[in-house]
Amino acid sequence: MALNVNYIARETGLNLKRNLTLTIASILTVVVSLSLVGISFLVRQGITNASGRFRGNIELIVFLEPKIEPAQRAAIGKSLEENPEVKKIFYVNQQQAFEDFKELFKDSPEMIGSVSPAILPASYRVVPENPDFQATRALSQTYGRKAGVREVVSADKTIKALQKITGKINAGVIIAGAVALAAALLLIFNTIRTAMFARRREIEVMKLVGATNWFIRVPFMLEGLIQGLVGGAISVAVLYLYNNYMTTQLVDSDEIQFFQNFLVESPDVLNTGIVLLVVGALVGAVGSGLAVSRFLDV
Amino acid sequence: MIKLENVTKVYKGDVVALKDASCNIDKGEFVFLVGPSGSGKSTMIRLLNKQEGPQAGRIYVAGKDIAELSAWKVPFLRRNIGCVFQDYKLLSNKTVYENVAFALEVIGRPKHVIKTQVPAILELVGLAKKQRNYPEELSGGEQQRVSIARAFVNRPLILLADEPTGNLDPNTSVGIMRLLDRINRTGTTVVMATHDRSIVDTMRRRVIELDRGTIIRDQARGVYE
Repeated sequence: MALNVNYIARETGLNLKRNLTLTIASILTVVVSLSLVGISFLVRQGITNASGRFRGNIELIVFLEPKIEPAQRAAIGKSLEENPEVKKIFYVNQQQAFEDFKELFKDSPEMIGSVSPAILPASYRVVPENPDFQATRALSQTYGRKAGVREVVSADKTIKALQKITGKINAGVIIAGAVALAAALLLIFNTIRTAMFARRREIEVMKLVGATNWFIRVPFMLEGLIQGLVGGAISVAVLYLYNNYMTTQLVDSDEIQFFQNFLVESPDVLNTGIVLLVVGALVGAVGSGLAVSRFLDV
Repeated sequence: MIKLENVTKVYKGDVVALKDASCNIDKGEFVFLVGPSGSGKSTMIRLLNKQEGPQAGRIYVAGKDIAELSAWKVPFLRRNIGCVFQDYKLLSNKTVYENVAFALEVIGRPKHVIKTQVPAILELVGLAKKQRNYPEELSGGEQQRVSIARAFVNRPLILLADEPTGNLDPNTSVGIMRLLDRINRTGTTVVMATHDRSIVDTMRRRVIELDRGTIIRDQARGVYE
């Protein structure tokens, strides 16, 4: 089966042009749905980043002074272990803290270069007996005042609440995205059907003179694929713009420092972008494939 | 070249289009299918290029049983069969040249072949000077010539014509028949469904007469009735 590349390119281009308004509608629907899905992924990623330090039921981190005496350090550890409110503790020494730091800033070597294990604080990660907010705050106040403790950081109420609420919002956004995606699929299906209807006389002649089914189908399928891909590409651009905007917003806000934890790194955006492109292409291919197989039987 | 064995075709609602029809058409024959509307002439044509399949019976075209032909092979069958219709089926947004070239293009013929064959066939049907015109700028007879050029440009073994003169006046029809006769003389088998009594009576070719789906007459050098 000789598929003439020139012919296919010309026919696909012509179809896209003839169907301009429908094509734009399909692409926009793909963009809206995929952007929703993508942004919801990023928000979820941000939440995970923000709460990453508090994984495994760790509700409290007691940072020690870098130059703390070993005896003082042991005393704090002992006091924590003996506290009835505390279930378990993990000690993270300065070298481990440095490893964590390197992991956290693996994308910015200049940050790592400016830090050495000696200036990073060692810490106790604390799993409290009772993870509710009041108990955690009481613990944090008790140990925050002890000598040798630099700072106590807790997975405070805001993060907990945020995790809960964004979980729900995210579910909503994903559902909306999925619904919009279904709409995009139907729209592409319809666009291709309209394109085929507009050219039914040509298709009839093509069949009569012995054009193969694939020869007739390919330009239409390509048309749908392109609509999905272009929609996917635009939504990737939307995703990058959104992330850049949020990044500047978050970095500029000094007062709410913990929001900076929500920053999403470019590799995450890239991964999400690739997913969006693939989903876009898939929606286009499936939509046009369905239309072609339903309305082009010979 | 063409052989029908006990072919039956029934449409929805028990409309019998062909009933137990058998006939044999040799290579290079010119055959008229005659009979009143609804007698099954068009059905026979549509069965021969596999636009439809029969409920029962066998249909051989160029030695192959096309009743059993799988869908993906149908296009290759059709490359051996030219088709001409009462309503020409030309594409109004393409010129005469483009309409004929289109038929070669969509079966993947290379450009240089198209460039030599299209002008040659347009010369044959007497439309060399109207290559750049659009179908609506042509008379009915000229449009039918374009349609014949398109059907024949690929040098098919068989040419099927379903009432090709149905929309044309008698004088124009004579011209079209001369053209079909000329094509037949190159060795192409021609099967033509028609109502046109004077054409059948003048040409004196084989006549197959259908009545309500049954072949009631098959006569060499026949007349309309």
